[in-house]
Amino acid sequence: MEVAQVISLSPARHRDDVLPGEGVLPVLPALAGLLPAGGLARGSVVTTEVFGLLSLALAADAVADGAWCAIAGVPAAGVRAAADAGLDPARLVLIPEPGRGWPQVVASLLDGFDIVLLCPPEPPPAQLRRKLEAAARRYGSVLLVAGDWPGAQTRLQVTGEEWTGLGAGHGRLRARKAQVVASGRGAAERPRSCWLWLPGPDGSVTVAGSVTAIGGAAGMSGAAGMASAGAQRMISSG
Amino acid sequence: MSAVSTSPAPTSAVPTSALTSAGQRRVLVLRCPDWLTGDEQEPGAAARAFEPVLAIVAEFCPQAEVLRPGLVAIAARGPARYFGGEEALAARLTEAVSRAEAFSQPGIDCQPGIDCQAGIADGLFAADLAARSGPAGLVIPAGETPQFLATVPVAALRCAELLFAVSGLPELTELLPRLGIHTLGEFAALPEAEAGSRFGAQGLIAHRLARGLDPRPLAPHPPRVDLSVEQAFEPAAEQSEPVVFTAKALADTMHARLAARGLACVRVKVQVVCADGRESSRLWRHDGLLSALAVAERVRWQLDGWRGGGPGPAGDAAPADGSGGITLIRLVPDQLVRATGHQLSLWGDAVVSDRVARAAIRVQAMLGHAAVTRPVLSGGRSPAEQVLLAPFGDTAVPSRPADQPWPDRIPAPAPATVYPQPQPASVTDSAGRVVSVSGRAQPSAPPAWLTAGHGPARAITCWAGPWPVTQRWWDPDHACRQARFQLITDDGSAWLAVLQDGRWLVEARYD
Repeated sequence: MEVAQVISLSPARHRDDVLPGEGVLPVLPALAGLLPAGGLARGSVVTTEVFGLLSLALAADAVADGAWCAIAGVPAAGVRAAADAGLDPARLVLIPEPGRGWPQVVASLLDGFDIVLLCPPEPPPAQLRRKLEAAARRYGSVLLVAGDWPGAQTRLQVTGEEWTGLGAGHGRLRARKAQVVASGRGAAERPRSCWLWLPGPDGSVTVAGSVTAIGGAAGMSGAAGMASAGAQRMISSG
Repeated sequence: MSAVSTSPAPTSAVPTSALTSAGQRRVLVLRCPDWLTGDEQEPGAAARAFEPVLAIVAEFCPQAEVLRPGLVAIAARGPARYFGGEEALAARLTEAVSRAEAFSQPGIDCQPGIDCQAGIADGLFAADLAARSGPAGLVIPAGETPQFLATVPVAALRCAELLFAVSGLPELTELLPRLGIHTLGEFAALPEAEAGSRFGAQGLIAHRLARGLDPRPLAPHPPRVDLSVEQAFEPAAEQSEPVVFTAKALADTMHARLAARGLACVRVKVQVVCADGRESSRLWRHDGLLSALAVAERVRWQLDGWRGGGPGPAGDAAPADGSGGITLIRLVPDQLVRATGHQLSLWGDAVVSDRVARAAIRVQAMLGHAAVTRPVLSGGRSPAEQVLLAPFGDTAVPSRPADQPWPDRIPAPAPATVYPQPQPASVTDSAGRVVSVSGRAQPSAPPAWLTAGHGPARAITCWAGPWPVTQRWWDPDHACRQARFQLITDDGSAWLAVLQDGRWLVEARYD
């Protein structure tokens, strides 16, 4: 079954096609400043560089708001960490091994779930990416990709991290202070960065520093600068 | 309810001549306590494991009604005539089931041979109580059911809650003894109108049950229209997943047709026809309570049991291998009653929106039933133990409650990456020797290098541990002694590593 067939098989249209930015799913207050729309725009693709707590935290507030989330291709997703970050496991469905037909699986999931968190088993070719992007737009869902996705509206990246609480032979992991850099296309073209507790001592995700726009003179760290340059390069090549 | 006392209703679509003088059909109930006592961790697996017993029952009567896994009812009159009396039927049936081979039953501890009890009486409720009486059950002669029920304590009404999916009866069983009504006979002696006005709808149901009647009358004028729905498969479906997916859509249509006429069905009959002409037909209790998803679930159980081809004798249940696939599925609503407005809440299905259920079932149709899971937080000490994954549509009740204290569990924050199978790893000290932990929970040397899986060796900058855990020492199969460490490597990653039986494993990663 092709992706296009899955889409055409959908028995009823639930919503009309959604343009990016038309509907916005809420995100945790700590992450709102990083995203150009202040949330996850329906029909858009948002990427994180790798799978991690950041991916789970992005979906948390929307699920608390009543949305359903599917996680495909991540057998090691930590549900306890997701729950501590605010993602209610009662509205979470896991597809750990989507198999070789994963594009069809993802297209089906986009039809039913508001948020689909995907870790692609292999880098998808451009044609397939465009089809899945079209499916997300059509159903008004958000595709969160853990990995590279050249057409993404927003890219998030953890560029610096520091754990606290653990010493040489004593203590325990208590919290991680992480710098997250957001870049992307359109309104998100100017990279922003933010220090977050990712996670905080109780597992939640909160702000540890203010949002700054990178490109100004102050507050530009080397790592963030590299991310910004990388984002620019991808934009110009895409 | 005015027609209640004048026209007691049959519970099955059997001809009226099969009814006793009291207007009740003879019912045999077979109970298998192995399925009924265990906590229902996986109803899907229990239903599949019960299928071989059903195959045996089907030899006696093809129209067996599954009330739930472990509890079957059949109309007793026909088989009793064939086998030479009701006692002979009950004895033969219990013997056949108790001699059955031990099946492979995930989650159910069952010795070779299956415990079972059979009871025969007028009506389902009395037959269930008769099956519970005595080690092998009782046969209550026709017409003596009211006398049998008269001596039963009112607490027995609790059993009806499972049989008929009516709620509110436990409260009644607590209230009645305080009012001086201790047996069903005393309750039945009250005028019906008084029972209704004093105890409400539950009181009326309980009063009907106490008199040996079924809890609600059938619709006075069953509609003549055919409300069954069916779908043919061309070409035949080899896999059960597309059939289950179709069944959900069919159930939706069936429910819509019933609802349009203000009806609900007590039972739904699922018929599946194979390309070689064989047919599997089962009745499932519905009571207007099952959502479309739950009906599809029962279709799956039926197909799994049929295709699994248990070791039971060949009834209508035979392995469908080489049968050429499934060509037709039909859902027939059985015993129409007036819909009284139930919420679709059985097994928590109502919280799953239709849109989500359809997408999840479609993915299950592609990947298989167990490939789509819902997580349930559970208790436990290691991160992997703290989440239980249940296939979408099944219910999971964690055997380790999450709200109990779990001393020695890893404190918050929880790791975002929890490997389903811990990854092999190696932790060495600065001299390259593998770090070990003594019986007094002292590491042999500070850990200096971590190699996780096939990754490169990374220098450990911070660490803490060992935190020893000794679990289930009373159970040799599950006993384990572990020592956990938290490690931070020079690339900034944080890891949860564990030393068990001299081997290092990485359980989780904080990222």
